Amino acid sequence: MKPRLTIDSLAIGLILFLAAIAGFVIWVGESAGVSVRVDLPEDGLVGPYHAITFKFSEVVSAEMASELIALDPIHEGYLQTVDDTSVRFVPLQPFDPEITYTVKVIAGETNIKGREVKKPQSWEFRIREPRVAYMVTAGGQSGIWSADRTGRGAKRLTSEEIKVVSFDVAQGGDFIVFTSVNQNGGIDLWRVSREGGDESLLLDCGLDRCTTPVIAPGDTRIAYSREAAGPTPDLPFGSPRIWVVDIESGADGPVYEDQSILGYNPSWSPDGNRLASFDGLADFIHMIDFTSGELVLFPSTTGGPVAWSPDSTRLLYTTFEQTDNGGRTLVMLADLSTGETIPLFGSVDVYDNAYYSLAWSALEERLVLGLRMEVDSPSRVLWVLDPSLLEGIVVAQDPDYTYNSPQWDPWGGALLFQQFKMRGQFKPEIGLWREGTNQATVLAEGILPQWLP
Amino acid sequence: MMPAGSATWLWDKLNVFATVFLGIFVEAVPYLLLGTFASGLVEVFIDRDGMSRWVSHRPAAAAISGAFMGMIFPVCECGVVPLTRRLFKKGLPLSAGISFLLAAPVLNPIVILSTASAFGWGQMLLWRFVVSLIIAVVVGLVFSVQGEPDEVLLPVLSGGDHDHVHAGAGDSIGGKIRKALLITVDEFFDMGRYLIIGSLLAAGLQTFIAQSTLLSIGSGPVLSVLVMLLLAVLLSICSTVDSFVALGFTGAFSFGSVLSFLVFGPMVDIKSTIMYLQVFKRRAVAYIILIPFMISLIAGLVFNYFVK
Repeated sequence: MKPRLTIDSLAIGLILFLAAIAGFVIWVGESAGVSVRVDLPEDGLVGPYHAITFKFSEVVSAEMASELIALDPIHEGYLQTVDDTSVRFVPLQPFDPEITYTVKVIAGETNIKGREVKKPQSWEFRIREPRVAYMVTAGGQSGIWSADRTGRGAKRLTSEEIKVVSFDVAQGGDFIVFTSVNQNGGIDLWRVSREGGDESLLLDCGLDRCTTPVIAPGDTRIAYSREAAGPTPDLPFGSPRIWVVDIESGADGPVYEDQSILGYNPSWSPDGNRLASFDGLADFIHMIDFTSGELVLFPSTTGGPVAWSPDSTRLLYTTFEQTDNGGRTLVMLADLSTGETIPLFGSVDVYDNAYYSLAWSALEERLVLGLRMEVDSPSRVLWVLDPSLLEGIVVAQDPDYTYNSPQWDPWGGALLFQQFKMRGQFKPEIGLWREGTNQATVLAEGILPQWLP
Repeated sequence: MMPAGSATWLWDKLNVFATVFLGIFVEAVPYLLLGTFASGLVEVFIDRDGMSRWVSHRPAAAAISGAFMGMIFPVCECGVVPLTRRLFKKGLPLSAGISFLLAAPVLNPIVILSTASAFGWGQMLLWRFVVSLIIAVVVGLVFSVQGEPDEVLLPVLSGGDHDHVHAGAGDSIGGKIRKALLITVDEFFDMGRYLIIGSLLAAGLQTFIAQSTLLSIGSGPVLSVLVMLLLAVLLSICSTVDSFVALGFTGAFSFGSVLSFLVFGPMVDIKSTIMYLQVFKRRAVAYIILIPFMISLIAGLVFNYFVK
């Protein structure tokens, strides 16, 4: 006679069977060890400052996990803890575009409980060709476009409905932050990817004007100028103050509690630890060190974004002073490690060279500045020089043009700039100078060029 | 005389206890009321013949159809117990009733929407739905081998209808609704006391077992799932809102651990266990707890170890 299946025998048998499966899953899972994922795209092409995030399948000790991570060839950078299960390698210098890098995670313990990565893993990546982002304004419309380094393959990144006021490109080149006027008359921060067509609101500023966004190295914080709306619509906006919004946490607030400190033209140091901005009312450049909270003031009457040295220890800025020879624009060099500030150019100039548009490249020995070559000419030129030798070459000097907004590529080998023809039809253009060439070329018609690495 | 420090400690604990108890009880009461009202409506408007026509008596079909009955009766775990008890009285097959009991708190439109609003229309919603369905059908199938419901149901259910309110075939709609409301009141007070006992127990455990202690030991692929399963029982949160609580755990806990919390919590917690004990015999309650526990554990483990 066939034994009758009872609920008790079936239920108990099933519970035991499930317990066996649970045990088997744990055994197989433990044998496999801790697994790791790396945020690299499938094609392995990334921006030159791409921060590589290692996501472990379990809680890890950042210190122990960092012992397992290696990059071949070795590249200067630091490891940052993202959360309990993730660490991020942030490069201090751009990756070399000529090299295929290998990210390795070797076997070993990841936390004090003895959990291990059992299978070594590796991934490869290369640096993609940088593009150029710029603004095109026509017929009341203004949008962000991108093109390759020859000016070809131009495409619009923002839709026609959105009128862009200003923008900044993330150091990693994966996204762009731009400003656009909202229905209330305020100006909001928006975000769009490097591929374009996917704009999204990043910060609703309501009635306030949020302008001149500058993305910090690491691409998680944005400094911008904020002008508070007046109490009533017919009253003017308040003075600009520097705010910082954190993209990951959404935290947003003014940098200085002291409301008398105004600011625009924010500029991050390459290590992302310091932020400089210009207070046009007090005629000071304010520089705050976020790691120590220290605030340093540099007297300046001209303002303008400061230029940081690649190692973040020095900065250049301009000011206008009366000398024995008359009024002169000076280029000042401030050494943050010694606290010393000296005039680099201008103090002994025969006439005022009206220095402006400073940009220090990723190479220590290369910076660019704009200046007036002839005392009576409105024309400006761009001068690439070695700041230690004070020698260099003029890379853009057509007397019919004036040049500004220079932007170095991540490796300091190519320079983008804005050029305006001063005679005939107004036509802003994007120029490009490359190391080893004497002549700059015109890439496209547009304004505010920036590298899209 | 009690030292001042101890008195303060006790007073603080009592405050926490009262707050947690009221939190659980006030959250659950409306759903219990809805469940008992649905039970009243079932008693008055559905007869045994109708139930036989609607629900298949083949075990697998009954278990699957029972699991989806939550789409018609959107009740959470507080309301599903009295409703299931009533449906058993109306002749609902055991397998269908057990599936309904376990699945309805998740597989109903309200919980699907609340999960989607917390986690989006993505993986968490999908797997919460799928794993809950699997558990409900498996437990339903296990109970389908039980020929005699009396063996697993408490006598008050298997021994016929003892309620003093009966709906006559000739009653008007108004009369039927009045009777349904009377049944609702009766059943609400009947099950309500068990809800109070369950809520008191849950509040007591939450007061004396700190959530932070559990969370601090909850790392690792196995421990994190076990901690979340324990938390699901301990917190006794209604399934309509548990997604938002679970969302708070996503930073510290893995996907698999949070999933096991969202699957197991609506099926088994302290207050629902107390209520199960008023409907089922103890060993049946043990199966209703242990099988979902094991499957939720396995699901959490599989996601923690193998799905990245």
